Amino acid sequence: MIKRELIVNIKSFIVSLSILVAMFLFVYLLYPFVITEETINQMDELMKSMPESFLKAFNMDMTSISTAYGWLKTEGFVFVLFVSGIYASILGANILLKEENDKTIEYLAFLPIKRSKILTNKLIVSLIYIFALVIIFGLFNFVALLISCDFDKKEFLLLSISPLFIALPLFSMNLLISTFMHKSKKMLGISLGFVFIFYIINLVSEMSENVEFLKYFSIYSLGDVRGIIDNGYMNPICIIVSILLSAIFIVLSYLRYNKKELI
Amino acid sequence: MNSPIIELQNLKKYYGKNKGIEDVSIKINKGEIYGFIGPNGAGKSTTIRTIIGLINKNGGKVLINGEELKFDDIEFKKKLGYLPSEVHLYENFTIKQTFDYHQTFYDKDCSQRRNELEELLKIDEEKKIGDLSLGNLKKVGIVLALMHEPEILILDEATSGLDPIMQNIFHDILMEEKKKGTTILYSSHILSEVSSICDKVGFIKDGIIIKEDLIDNIKKDNFTYLKISSKDIEKIKEELNLKVIKEEDNNITFINNLDANTIINKLAKYDIDRLLIEEISLEDLFIHYYM
Repeated sequence: MIKRELIVNIKSFIVSLSILVAMFLFVYLLYPFVITEETINQMDELMKSMPESFLKAFNMDMTSISTAYGWLKTEGFVFVLFVSGIYASILGANILLKEENDKTIEYLAFLPIKRSKILTNKLIVSLIYIFALVIIFGLFNFVALLISCDFDKKEFLLLSISPLFIALPLFSMNLLISTFMHKSKKMLGISLGFVFIFYIINLVSEMSENVEFLKYFSIYSLGDVRGIIDNGYMNPICIIVSILLSAIFIVLSYLRYNKKELI
Repeated sequence: MNSPIIELQNLKKYYGKNKGIEDVSIKINKGEIYGFIGPNGAGKSTTIRTIIGLINKNGGKVLINGEELKFDDIEFKKKLGYLPSEVHLYENFTIKQTFDYHQTFYDKDCSQRRNELEELLKIDEEKKIGDLSLGNLKKVGIVLALMHEPEILILDEATSGLDPIMQNIFHDILMEEKKKGTTILYSSHILSEVSSICDKVGFIKDGIIIKEDLIDNIKKDNFTYLKISSKDIEKIKEELNLKVIKEEDNNITFINNLDANTIINKLAKYDIDRLLIEEISLEDLFIHYYM
């Protein structure tokens, strides 16, 4: 079953990985041509004219985008968190519900396999893909940065694994919600809705101290990119909350799926 | 006496406030083919889905070999073969991949029975599931239901989509299964096939079993089909309190459960132009129960 799940879900994995790789590859290739002393000065001027809240939202108040690594730490990783969040959410929304949506659940239900085992197999495959996305993309960036510019390797490692801490709770949250749903289309709308809302809340929370409290309402805050750049380590509370949330959502998913009416 | 292989006791299922089934109680003994008959929406599929565990019952019991069926019972599922009314499988798989995948869930070698069934049903393993017609998909469903040689077989509208030749082949396969001792729940609204292959039949209406008996007993039940032409038709209707199937001028057609002597004595006092007594078919009985 795990083999079948790996085959079925490889397409969306390749699409998500390709989007990230294509975007970053474009930037890495472009940087040597675009970035000269003159353009850096122009960009600095441009940055000065922008509101501080905007710069904060993309971490541009803390670092310069004069190198590819600088760009990666700012807009780059905001984008990575967004895409990996969408990927994990769709995976969580679909992996169980697709069987009901395609009505293949009727076949699966008569096979001698427990519902909890079905969920475990699908969970294993999802975790493999989420980790693979982060690891493969991290390796790609590592090689590209080695060629492009100097960079802080410890900081890069922390940044590279930060998407895991938003992808895992987003995946498991959507998995849990999907156990209450019967149609994929509706579920997909809900899951993307959550990603955008969390993403926007997080952006807004970083713009000003007045609205900083909003970060407690967004899973995206658990990525803690600013903490890594600022302090050189990831806030342990973010890690604990991320793992705890994921574990709670997964346990609830098991409980709920074992009682679900598969219609 | 041995307990039935499948026994449903007062099974009840509601979808929110909507009734699925209200009170379904049936018993199926080893090697028996049980015809589960009812029109669309009567509760046949709900009953089957409750047994399989797709949906949760609101009341009653499902007993297998005399023991109450637990949730997600793997031992039961190892013995179970199921053919749904509409077969939905993984469209990106070929038939071969589907059968190989199916085999991985069972602890035994299913290849011999798989080959036999493929040959009987003329299945080309190389075709992709997504490219199959309804009939061919049904044939794949039949192999999946039977290749692991289940002891219990649940079939929901099994022959829908199959051409008449394949229907006959399928009936032969079922007879072979019956000889082996497989216990079969056969849900259908095609009464001719139920009367030809089933041992026992249960009629379900609005989620309740309204009649259950052996096919032979039903045939012996004295139900006949009467056509009368008479000028006294109104008086006859009044005296016999008839369940009329068809009425036109002075002709009526009705289902009769009185024995031949009684009905002839009752009719003797009337002026009868034409009287026709025929053996009742299961179709007519169906109309009798559902009208």
